[in-house]
Amino acid sequence: MSSTVGSRRVSVREALADNGALAGLLVLVVALSVSAPTFLSTQNLLNVGVQAAVVAVLAFGSTFVIVSGGIDLSVGSVAALSAMVGAWSSAEAGLPGPVALLLGLLTGVVAGLVNGALVSYGRLPAFIATLAMLSVARGLTLVVSQGSPTTTPDVVSFLGSDLTPYLPVPLLVMLVFFGITGFVLSRTYSGRAMYAIGGNEEAARLSGIDTRRQKLVVYALSGLFAAVAGMLLAGRLSSAGPQAAVGYELDAIAAVVIGGASLSGGVGRATGTLVGALVLAVLRNGLNQMQVSPFWQQVVIGAVIALAVLLDTLRRRTR
Amino acid sequence: MLLSARNITKSFTGVKALDGVDFDVRPGEVHVLLGENGAGKSTLVKVLAGVHSPDRGTVERSAGTRLAVIHQELTLVPRLSVAENLYLGRPPRRFGIVDKARMRQGAKRLLDRVGLSVDPDTAVEDLGIAQQQMVEIARALDLDAQVLVLDEPTAVLTGTETDRLLDIMADLRGQGVGLVFITHHLDEIRRIADRVTVLRDGRSVGVLPRGASVRRMIELMVGRTISEQYPRRRQDPGEVLLKVDGLTRDGAFHDVSFHVRAGEVVGVAGLVGAGRTEVVRAAFGVDRYDSGRVEVAGEPVPRHDVRAAVRAGLGLVPEDRKGQGLVLTSTVGDNLGLVTLRSTARAGLVDRRGQRERARGMAEALRVKTSGLDQPVRELSGGNQQKVVIGKWLLADPKVLVLDEPTRGVDVGAKVEIYELVNRMTAAGRAVLLVSSDLPEVIGMSDRIVVMAHGRVAGELPAGTTQDKVMALAVQEFPA
Amino acid sequence: MEFRGVAALSALTLALTACGSGTSSGGGGDLTIGLAISTLDNPYFVALKAGAEKAAAELGVELTVVDAQNDATNQVNQVQTFTTQGVKAIVINPVDSKQAAPAAKAAENAAVPLVAVDRSVDEGKVVSEVASDNVQGGTLAAIELGRAVSGQVVHLQGIPGASASRDRGRGFEQGLNSGGIEVVAGQPADFNRAKGLDVMTNLLQANPGVKGVFADNDEMALGAIKALGDRAGKDVQVVGFDGTPDGLTAIENGTMAATIAQQPEVLGRKAVEQAVKAARGETVQEVVDVEVKVVTKKNVAEFRK
Repeated sequence: MSSTVGSRRVSVREALADNGALAGLLVLVVALSVSAPTFLSTQNLLNVGVQAAVVAVLAFGSTFVIVSGGIDLSVGSVAALSAMVGAWSSAEAGLPGPVALLLGLLTGVVAGLVNGALVSYGRLPAFIATLAMLSVARGLTLVVSQGSPTTTPDVVSFLGSDLTPYLPVPLLVMLVFFGITGFVLSRTYSGRAMYAIGGNEEAARLSGIDTRRQKLVVYALSGLFAAVAGMLLAGRLSSAGPQAAVGYELDAIAAVVIGGASLSGGVGRATGTLVGALVLAVLRNGLNQMQVSPFWQQVVIGAVIALAVLLDTLRRRTR
Repeated sequence: MLLSARNITKSFTGVKALDGVDFDVRPGEVHVLLGENGAGKSTLVKVLAGVHSPDRGTVERSAGTRLAVIHQELTLVPRLSVAENLYLGRPPRRFGIVDKARMRQGAKRLLDRVGLSVDPDTAVEDLGIAQQQMVEIARALDLDAQVLVLDEPTAVLTGTETDRLLDIMADLRGQGVGLVFITHHLDEIRRIADRVTVLRDGRSVGVLPRGASVRRMIELMVGRTISEQYPRRRQDPGEVLLKVDGLTRDGAFHDVSFHVRAGEVVGVAGLVGAGRTEVVRAAFGVDRYDSGRVEVAGEPVPRHDVRAAVRAGLGLVPEDRKGQGLVLTSTVGDNLGLVTLRSTARAGLVDRRGQRERARGMAEALRVKTSGLDQPVRELSGGNQQKVVIGKWLLADPKVLVLDEPTRGVDVGAKVEIYELVNRMTAAGRAVLLVSSDLPEVIGMSDRIVVMAHGRVAGELPAGTTQDKVMALAVQEFPA
Repeated sequence: MEFRGVAALSALTLALTACGSGTSSGGGGDLTIGLAISTLDNPYFVALKAGAEKAAAELGVELTVVDAQNDATNQVNQVQTFTTQGVKAIVINPVDSKQAAPAAKAAENAAVPLVAVDRSVDEGKVVSEVASDNVQGGTLAAIELGRAVSGQVVHLQGIPGASASRDRGRGFEQGLNSGGIEVVAGQPADFNRAKGLDVMTNLLQANPGVKGVFADNDEMALGAIKALGDRAGKDVQVVGFDGTPDGLTAIENGTMAATIAQQPEVLGRKAVEQAVKAARGETVQEVVDVEVKVVTKKNVAEFRK
């Protein structure tokens, strides 16, 4: 797939033809602009960006995992745990805010390393290892919080605030991590190794790539990104909740797949994932504004996910 | 005439895959379809089988004629038993329940017909590739096919297995079956073919009668004269670059020792299952071994560590090109850069421009037929894919390159180009270890030949030996 | 290999036993009561559990608490396990009223008295039902919101189809005609604070003239307050439900107009009291109504204990 090639200048038309999700996003935006008059305002578009940020950052982390042929089901729980550790360290243990923030991020990395070690050295299927972590991290969140929301330190709350009225911090964080993801995937040894491992792990190993260590890197990155997403979520609410980000791992995976990545590995790009996360956010925002019945909203979201991936598959097949 | 295709033309997105091809099959003949990869053989087979409909031209079958295709990629279900595979989707039933006894009996009868003596309850994944192929053929026979298309069946077979397949083909011919046989092995064509249709660039460039010369077939196929089939240019051997000493893994190979000198090509011959691939994989650090040692240029190579082996100067082109050699989801450029990805990276950052320039240089030097470095490698023909696998190792400039079945499924033109690469490596003072089941190739390209049997070195033969001598060692029995 | 598996399993069992004993409290008493709680992911139920534990300690009985993590099947299994562990009475806080019948059946078969708390058990034998009235609470919320504002309001709903969403929503609609408010939008935010924030932000885009918000729980109300920013408590009044600590703080700060306090601790306490009576063969009260209270800035101090 051309999607593994990082550096090609492409025209807008080629970009649309190459990325079914981007075309889908534009269709969605046009349709909503027509049917919901308040959709296409600067403020609302900024809202969509902010609302996409948490899932987008989670999904960037999942992009590494999925490109390398794995899956990480624990990101929602790890996000909640990291945010809770950060909030607890400051509110209960009395540590300075920045230290608490770092502790929270470290929690994510450690959870990711455990996932990675179980997958690469313990040879557990990624699905099982991260499913276990999903449960463990959520449980630890409850243990730390004793079931109650905990106030976040100012430095975390800043992550959820507006720098100026038209510059929300979550949007900036999302764009920065978008840049990091694109850079890691196309420019670094680890990023290129992810494509090789996901495409054919045995071929990668026989070419002298340290597949085990690279998988450790992959899951550690996913854990770190989950922690950042958790901080964003908590920052927006100025509070870390024990039930925060439940089920977000599925949104993250959906965003990556809508973005054109293959769950069998070896294919995927940062731009695709960003578009995928925006599709989900635009959809939720639009459904709220159009007053769609709560019972139908989940049906519509599911149908759009299936449709987006279906279009992409058809486009690839006909080429 | 069982089947007759006239003036077949078929294009894919503007590219003509077939251009006015005539082809027919008579009862009781073996009609060989010969051509380089990409010449249009597979497309023609698909048109004959009705998978593709031609843009122009007609395919006529005499009434009731059934056609079965045995593909290169087998269509068996690995976990199911031989009997279950033979009756896949149509098991003999009694009162709606699968009649296992009857299925087993029927399977036994079919297996006898192709001369395969395995228990019908064996899981297919436990069989060798050759045996799996026999199962596939047996299944086609039971479907009562009057036309049987065999798409490169011998590419994965050893000499004796090939002999048996050719016998079965001759037998089927006697029963009035029309066989279409695709192969790159010209000696097989001389042994079995009644007619040979040569395709080049989507056109039929000639129909040769039985007994046509090898030279004539090659000329028609590649459209130019190839002076030598095995153009080995020998060097004076230098220092020992690879030394394998007493390598042993219980149940796989025992006390295997050999060495390869600079400028040398050492062939490793033997039957399938003799342990050749296992030994080279262990030496390269892919799999474990129990005892023994491996040295490259006098330095010991640690066990079970591919990266250390690569750093020491070893390279391995594995036998399973798609399963172990290529990242099919990636591009030609990314695949070429895979081995050097790490060594050229600075501070974790990939040397993108350098990697691309080197890949482009290598693709040109190897004459890889590709639309560019960004083309997905899966779109390349088998020979060109193999050049990419070899190319990624040449970029790393290993002291010793191990080639495991390097020309399997590769057409004649590309084969010669791969042999020239071997010559270039040895001329530059490197060494090549050539593992191959293709006896003429091992004999034609090696300076010395190590023959393995039952996991042991059965003996060593000089260049220019005969196939009979190799086979005599290869079937040798060892006292337990 | 096999040995290692056995060793690992025994270690795991030991660890689990250690955790299990940690959730028991009270001690000393010869009587054990089981509390099957729907979830501990929510401060409300954590408070309910605390009230139950306090009552158990005072009454000198052992209390074993299990958490169904909002999974009704899980809860049935847990109640079945209780009956085999020899508990003398079971307090159930059903994950879902309709899906609790098998649990009730299991208790009945083992002749263990069952007390329902916070939510009812639709089918099956229950000796006592300790609950506050969600429908009444919803009505009170509508009246309180109508008192605070007039004009357009939005309704943030809980998980679609959940009984608390149904009951509170129904009560809210019943109370609407009493004031000058009109619901212009009702959208689900799944009882979740982060979703409350996003959904409220989106609803504000479509309905900039909104004057009031009713949320089916305090978590969503707090999310809505985040979305409203400076406008919360000034241009727009927010009414929540539950009376969680964070909710009470918001009322003290003036960002939340009112909440409907259910007194979860009282619910837990009364349920254990009834269960102990049933276990000792004393008469129990069939229905215990725990009052729902409207909390505003005036009386918020009473709820801070």
